Amino acid sequence: MDLLLLGMSHHTAPVDLRERVDFSRRGVSEALRELAACPSPTEAVVLTTCNRAEIYVACEDSETTRHGLERFMSRFHDVPEHDLAPHLYVHTGADVARHLFRVAAGLDSLVVGEPQIFGQIKDAYAVASRERRTGALLNKLFPWSFAVGKRVRADTGLGEGAVSVSYTAISLARKIFGSLKALRVLVVGAGEMAELTATHLRSQQVGRIGVTSRTRARADALARKVDGTAVDWTAVDDELLEADIVVTATGASTPIISTTTIDRIMRARRNRPLFIIDIGLPRDVEPDAGDLEQVFLYNIDDLRSIVSENLARRQEQTARAEAMVSNEVEAFVVWLRSRGTIPTVVALRRRFESIRQAELKRFESKLSGLSPEARARVDEVTQLLVQKLLLTPTERLKTAADEATAAQYAEIITQLFGLAADAPTDAPAAAPATRAPSPSPSTSKTPVAS
Amino acid sequence: MTMLPLLLYTIAGVAYAFSFARRSQRTGRLATASLAGAALIHTFVIGMRTVEVGQLPFVGTAAAISAFVWLLAVAYLYTEVTTDERAMGVFIVPLLVVLEGVSALSDRVIEPAPVLDSPWFAVHVSSLLFAYAAFALACVIGITYVLLFRELKSKRLGFFAARLPSLQVLDAMNGRAVSVGWLFLTAGLAVGAVWLFQLQPETMDPRVRAMSLFDPKISVVVLSWLVYSFEIYARRAIGWSGKRAAWLSAVGFSIILLNLVPVGYFLTDSHNF
Repeated sequence: MDLLLLGMSHHTAPVDLRERVDFSRRGVSEALRELAACPSPTEAVVLTTCNRAEIYVACEDSETTRHGLERFMSRFHDVPEHDLAPHLYVHTGADVARHLFRVAAGLDSLVVGEPQIFGQIKDAYAVASRERRTGALLNKLFPWSFAVGKRVRADTGLGEGAVSVSYTAISLARKIFGSLKALRVLVVGAGEMAELTATHLRSQQVGRIGVTSRTRARADALARKVDGTAVDWTAVDDELLEADIVVTATGASTPIISTTTIDRIMRARRNRPLFIIDIGLPRDVEPDAGDLEQVFLYNIDDLRSIVSENLARRQEQTARAEAMVSNEVEAFVVWLRSRGTIPTVVALRRRFESIRQAELKRFESKLSGLSPEARARVDEVTQLLVQKLLLTPTERLKTAADEATAAQYAEIITQLFGLAADAPTDAPAAAPATRAPSPSPSTSKTPVAS
Repeated sequence: MTMLPLLLYTIAGVAYAFSFARRSQRTGRLATASLAGAALIHTFVIGMRTVEVGQLPFVGTAAAISAFVWLLAVAYLYTEVTTDERAMGVFIVPLLVVLEGVSALSDRVIEPAPVLDSPWFAVHVSSLLFAYAAFALACVIGITYVLLFRELKSKRLGFFAARLPSLQVLDAMNGRAVSVGWLFLTAGLAVGAVWLFQLQPETMDPRVRAMSLFDPKISVVVLSWLVYSFEIYARRAIGWSGKRAAWLSAVGFSIILLNLVPVGYFLTDSHNF
């Protein structure tokens, strides 16, 4: 049983192709159901976002499955195979884990560290679980990736710091005011930039949005769009008195709000903080106003420079994040390898158990005189004895340093205990598990599959 | 035994610094746990001392400072648990370590003077110490406010913006801490004054006779009362919130620290029990 990944992303495919290969159009559930009809993969998770379309599977034969998946993708999206093939990437085994861990950590995203992908992977896994398309392998891999994503973000701060101008404005407002819920916003100007910022603020559930523009009709129109109130241009000063956040984005060629006005207003406001986002070009607010004590004045360049600093900081953290991902991949590989020895472990246990049962049977006549409690105790003691005897060899087998050593150990045990005759032919891993194991990526130890 | 709280506070201080710098949640929890452990052990030490001397161990500057440290630790832990904000710990715990160090180095068991055997004494000292703990919190909150304020003003968000709560939250916390502190300071001073008027006519203890507004310990504390009264008035009446309130809290607490250590040890004629 091996892991296989086939997919495309913004790294390999242009946007028009990505739009055509979008599983969300017909639904991930339907894709999973169609995939179930394909002969090879026993487990599957379909991940779809605006930047990637990926199918994670557990299969017996990677090569055959890969061709099957390519055909499936082409059929499902109605895109000719030869158009698709050059843009697809394929990973197997540990590389699948590396890829998924990097994606979950936000390292493979267009904007490094962006948080949405994490939820999208969780959704993809939830759908596949609901459709009963996940089993022992993917039930380990996906929860592991959630833990990796979470830890990388927590330890490196990779997802921190806003990386868009409007989000930067909102995070600054949060740093000044805390909650934005009861705040009053005044938008000066009714152009595209004003609308964009007002929409963002509306999504943060601010208290009230007032919109003002020299042209009243435009103010009315924007106010309707953002569920705000149009304010008369002549009443700007009164509105400034009440507002907590002011967004200015007019096309005026000279500043429309002077330092003197703001100074006067700040006195009347008793120094209540005022956050001014001046995204007009040329600027709408005299820059000196930013020197007033409780005035936080940011223009478009200030916001942009914060964005680029945040991006640079994220880049610095990527090396650390990559190292963390590598460690986790190694731990995952140890787990993966330990699965290879499971048939030997199971056979060994069966052999010991059959010996125990046989011996109990042999002494049946002598044991029959015992009370039921004593009989149960004998059963318990012999079971414990077998478990203790098998503990160390099982652990050693599962934590062997590399694949060759693991295979060597398995071979030796098979020979020494004569297991070849009764080794189970189907690894338990092949049986789809319905229960997701709890993610434990910090340790390479795994539950004994018995 | 008196060194044990000091050691534990030091460990907590290191853990808070580490968790602040690395923003590690796990170390943060460890820091909180070690501070709670330190406060608990400190409680036992104070309890044992109470049994030893027969009343709350507030007599002598060292004991008073140690009680102040304990109160501040408990007040800070309460603030941390109720606001879920651990960022202030890195500023508070070093203060605990320094003050507990001063106290531990000069510590000795002092038999209380007969004049102090009064319920007024416990109320007077505990009110004032609680007020000082609240002012210490206000001061630290004020310092963090100024640090964050500077980053936001300079438009270069970095270290503190990533770690501290918003300016508004810090300002509200500062206002609350100062109000609570002011109430206890006023109550403590009033109780002290009433007690003094009862005592002075009859006692011959020179320290009680030396108590007047001109004694440094008393004049300095009255000065701090004036500073905090002004801070509260200015916040409500003339909009001195934010940075100005933060500076006033820092000034007020500097005066209190001055009163607690140099004045308490070397200058006062009245309060050297």
